[in-house]
Amino acid sequence: MISNYFKIAWRNLLRSKSFSFINISGLAIGMASAMLILLWIHHEMSYDGFHEKKDRLYQAWNRYSIDGGIQSWKSTPKPMAAAIRQDYPEVEHTGRVTNIPPVKIDLGGKSFYGRGKIVDSTFLDMFTFPVLKGNSTSPLHDVSSIVLTEKLAQTIFGNTDPVGQILKLDNTDNFKVSAVVKDPPANSRFEFQFLLPWSYMRKTGGDDQVWQDNSVETYVLLKENASLSALEPKLKTLRQKYDKSDPNMEAFLYPISRWHLYGSFESGRESGGRIEIVRLFGVIAGFVLLVACINFMNLSTARSEKRAREVGIRKVAGAHRRSLVVQFLGESVWIAFIAGCFALVLVQLVLPSFNELVGKKLVMDRRDPLLWLIFAGFILFTGLLAGSYPSVYLSSFKPVHALKGGIKAFKTLIAPRQILVVGQFTFAIVLIIATVVVRQQIRKAQDRQTGFGKENLVYHFTEGESAKNYKQIKQELLSSGTALSVTMTSSPVTEDWSNTWEIGWKGKSPDDRTVVSRFFADDAVIKTLGLQLITGRDFDLDNFPADSNAALLNESAVKHMGLKEPVGQVIKDMGQEWHVIGVFKDFIINSPYHPSSPLYIGGANGFFNVMHIKLNGARPTRDNVAALETIFKKYNPAYEVNYRFADAQYARKFEDEKRTGTLATLFALLTIVISCLGLFGLSSYMAENRIKEIGVRKVLGASVPSIIALLSKDFFKLVGFAFVIASPIAWGLMYSWLENFPYRVSLQWWVFAFAGLAALLIALFTVGFQAVKAATTNPVKSLRTE
Amino acid sequence: MIGLKGIFKWVNTGGNRVFLLKDVDLSVKEGEFVSIMGPSGSGKSTLLNVIGMLDDFNEGEYNFLHEPVHTLKEKHRSALYKQYIGFVFQAYHLIDELTVYENIETPLLYQDIKGSERKALVADILDRFNIVGKKDLFPTQLSGGQQQLVGIARALIAKPKLLLADEPTGNLNSRQGEEIMELFARLNKEGVTIIQVTHSEKNASYGSRVINLLDGKIDN
Repeated sequence: MISNYFKIAWRNLLRSKSFSFINISGLAIGMASAMLILLWIHHEMSYDGFHEKKDRLYQAWNRYSIDGGIQSWKSTPKPMAAAIRQDYPEVEHTGRVTNIPPVKIDLGGKSFYGRGKIVDSTFLDMFTFPVLKGNSTSPLHDVSSIVLTEKLAQTIFGNTDPVGQILKLDNTDNFKVSAVVKDPPANSRFEFQFLLPWSYMRKTGGDDQVWQDNSVETYVLLKENASLSALEPKLKTLRQKYDKSDPNMEAFLYPISRWHLYGSFESGRESGGRIEIVRLFGVIAGFVLLVACINFMNLSTARSEKRAREVGIRKVAGAHRRSLVVQFLGESVWIAFIAGCFALVLVQLVLPSFNELVGKKLVMDRRDPLLWLIFAGFILFTGLLAGSYPSVYLSSFKPVHALKGGIKAFKTLIAPRQILVVGQFTFAIVLIIATVVVRQQIRKAQDRQTGFGKENLVYHFTEGESAKNYKQIKQELLSSGTALSVTMTSSPVTEDWSNTWEIGWKGKSPDDRTVVSRFFADDAVIKTLGLQLITGRDFDLDNFPADSNAALLNESAVKHMGLKEPVGQVIKDMGQEWHVIGVFKDFIINSPYHPSSPLYIGGANGFFNVMHIKLNGARPTRDNVAALETIFKKYNPAYEVNYRFADAQYARKFEDEKRTGTLATLFALLTIVISCLGLFGLSSYMAENRIKEIGVRKVLGASVPSIIALLSKDFFKLVGFAFVIASPIAWGLMYSWLENFPYRVSLQWWVFAFAGLAALLIALFTVGFQAVKAATTNPVKSLRTE
Repeated sequence: MIGLKGIFKWVNTGGNRVFLLKDVDLSVKEGEFVSIMGPSGSGKSTLLNVIGMLDDFNEGEYNFLHEPVHTLKEKHRSALYKQYIGFVFQAYHLIDELTVYENIETPLLYQDIKGSERKALVADILDRFNIVGKKDLFPTQLSGGQQQLVGIARALIAKPKLLLADEPTGNLNSRQGEEIMELFARLNKEGVTIIQVTHSEKNASYGSRVINLLDGKIDN
C-alpha cells in the first residue's frame, strides 16, 4: 500500500517537472525563511539560559512612585547588595557588577585592549562561567587578581600558561592572572573579556556607601527552597530602612528569564521589549510558511482534474475516503520532505549573510538531535498543512462524476482558490506597504536636522595622559591647521551620559521631577559642535574667565523652565550655581525618533571625558587624520589613537530600524516571489485548461489582446480584492509601529496606492506571460488535440 | 441476486424535474448475463451506476443479496460493492502512473490482503489473461484492447460475484470487441453474473437477456 502511494507520488512528480519545480521551490523558500527566523528566535529565547542556577537568579530593581506614576530602573546603590544579603535569610548570595571603559593591558612591552567588569567575588559562584585554568574556588578574592576569558588569554599569552602572570592595566596597577574562564556565549547578557575583583574598587576609593547614588547592577541568588513571594513584600521596605530621604522608593527582584526579552517597565509594569520583535518575526515566519503552503494547496487543487480520475478509479476499486486522504497527505509530506532538504541546503548557504543582516552568529548544530526532531516536525507540519486542503478536496470526489470527467476543476474550484490567492496577495501587499513605511520613517529621522555640525567632527576619549596633556594637544592641533576648534566635553555629542531632576531654577515647582540632561564643555562648545546659537554667546574662557561656571540652555530647557529672559538667569546643579549666558537650538543627543528634551551645557567646572575636534574642512581628511594621530601619539604614547567620527556614530542610531527595514524588504520580496511562483503555476494551468476555448475564440476572430485580457482579468480582480483587505490591516499595523516613535511620518495614501499598483504589475507580468503564450498559439494546433 | 422495485431518479433543473429513471423494476438472478440497451440518454449508464451503488436514487427499493441497499449507510454500501462487484469501463480508466501489475493489484490494497497473497492472485490473473509479458508496462504503452483486458483483470481480481460493464467495447475495433465479448461469455459460464450496457445487438446476443430502456423506463 505505502509503496504503491510512494510510486504514484514519485511518478507524478517526475511526470510534470515544471509543476514539481514550482511547488518544491516555493515550499523550500518558504521553509528556509521560516527556519532562519526560527533559528533567530531560538537564539533570542535562549538568552541567559546556560546558567546552572538560572531558576534562582534575579536582578534587583528600584521602583519609585510619584503622583500615581511609577518609574522603574535597574541601577542600584552600592551598599544595597550587602543589605539584601544580611537582612533576608532567603538570599544565598548577592553580587554587584559595574562596567568599566575599555582598558589598555600591558604585558612586557606589548599592549592590548580589553573590555571588562568589576564584580563581587560571588560573581562566578552565581553565574556559570566555568573556570578552565587556575584558581577555581575564589579567583576574585585577592585585590590584585584578574580573571581572563579564554579568548583574551589566547590573544595576550598565546600558548603559554597565563595563570600567575602579571599584567599592567591602564598604566597604573599590576594584576596577577588568577584564572581563565570560558568565553561568555553569544546568548549571554554579560559580555566581558576580563573580570576584576570588587576589592580593587574599594582600594581605588570607588566603593562608597551612599544610598542616593544608583550606579551599579545588583544581582541576587536565592536559596534553593526560598520563596520569592514571601521575600517580595519584605523587599518593599528595604530602601526606607536605609535611605530615609526617599520614602517612596522600593526594591524588587526581576527574574533572569525575563532580562533579555522583556526588561523594560512602564508605570511599574513590564512593557514589552525585545519580545515584541520576536513575536513580530514569529508571525512573519508563520505567514511566509503559510503563503508557501497556500501555493502548494493552490497548485495541487489546480491539477485536481488530472487526479480526479485516479480518485474515481480508486474509489471504484474499493478505496475509502480515509485511505485517499492518507494517500494525498502522504504525498504532500513527501514533497515537503524533498522541499525540506532543499531548504536545509538553502539555510546553510544563506546563513552567513543572514547573520550579517541580523548582527548575530547563529549556527545550525548538525549534531544536535533537537534540530533533527524540529526538522522532522517542521516537515510533518508543513506537509500536513499544505496537503490538508487538496487531500480533503480530492478525496471528496464522487466516483461517477470523477470518471465521467465531470469535475471542471477550474470552474468548481474557483471560490476556494480565489480565497487562497487573495490571502497570498493580501500578505504581499501588507509587506510592501510595511517596507515603504519603514523606509520612509528611517528617511524622515535621517533627514531631521541634527542641530549640530557632524561633518569633520571627531571625538576621542581622554585615556592615559591625554587629559593631562590636553592643552598641548589642543594647541598643536590648532596651530598645525588640523583643527578649527577643540573642546573638552563630558560625553560624546551623540550620547547622553548624565541627567538629573534635582536641578533648580527660579520658579521651579517643587513637584517637578522632569529629567534634565547635563552636558559639560570647557570652551567654544557652540563653535566646535556646530550648534546654532539663538541668543547670548558661546563659552569664551580667554575673554570671560567666569565662563567656567556659565551655562548654555537648549530651547526645550528654556521652554520647560518657563524662562522669559534666559540670559542672566541662574540654575543650580551639582552643588553650584551656573549662570546662563546663551540659548541654542535643540540638537539630537538621544534618539532621532524622539523630540528633544531639556538640556543644559555647563562650563569648565564640570567633569570631562571626551575631546571633540572640529577638523579643518579645507584640508583633505586623510591629512587631518594623519596629523591627529601623530599628535595624540606624541602626547599619549602608551595608548592607541582611537578617534571616532561623529557622523558615523550618529548613523549608528539608525541601525535597529535599518535592520527592521532590510528584513521587511527581504520578507516582502520572498513573499512576492513565492506568490508569483504560485500565480505562474496557476495561470499556466488555466491557460492549458482553456486552450480549446482560446482556439475557438481565435477561429471566431478574437484578437490576441482581447484573449490576453480575458485570461488576465480574473486575476486582477483577485489582486484588487486583496488590496481592499490589505489596506486596513497594513494601516493598523503601521499605525501601531509608528506609535513607537514620537517623531514620525504620517501614513500617506499614495503608499497604499503604490503597493496596490506594484502588486497589480507583478501579477500582470506573471499572468501575462502565460496569457500571451496561450493567446499566440495557432488555434489549429490546440483544436486538433481534442 | 438483484431486486429493484419502483426505482426513481431525478434531477432538478430550473424548477423542472427531469427523470433519469422512472419506476424501474428489475430482478437479476445469479449466473445471468444481462444486456441493457437503449438510445443515448435513455438512462442505461445511470441504471448501471445505481446497481453498482456508485450513484444514489431518489425513490424505490434495492435489494442486493438480501441486503436492503436503500437503507444502508455509505460505509456499509461501499463494503458491499467492494466485496461483490467489479466494474469495467468504456474508457478503461487505468491509472496512468501505475504499471499493469500495479493497476491490477490496486483493489486488493483496499481489501487488506497480505502481500504474498496479492502477488499470487495477480500472477494468477495475469496468466489467465495471457498478459504476463506486459505486467511492467504502463497503460499508455498498450493498445485499447490490451488496456481493456487489464481493466477486466482488475475488475475480476477480487473475485466479485457481479461484473458491471459500461459499453466495454465502445472504444475498441470489432475484432478486439469480439475477443472481449467472448471473454465475458466464458466468465459467465464460470459463474460470474454480468450486466453490460451496450449499443450493439451483436454484443447483446452474447447475453441471456436484454433489457430495453427508453426515457428512463423499461420498455419490454
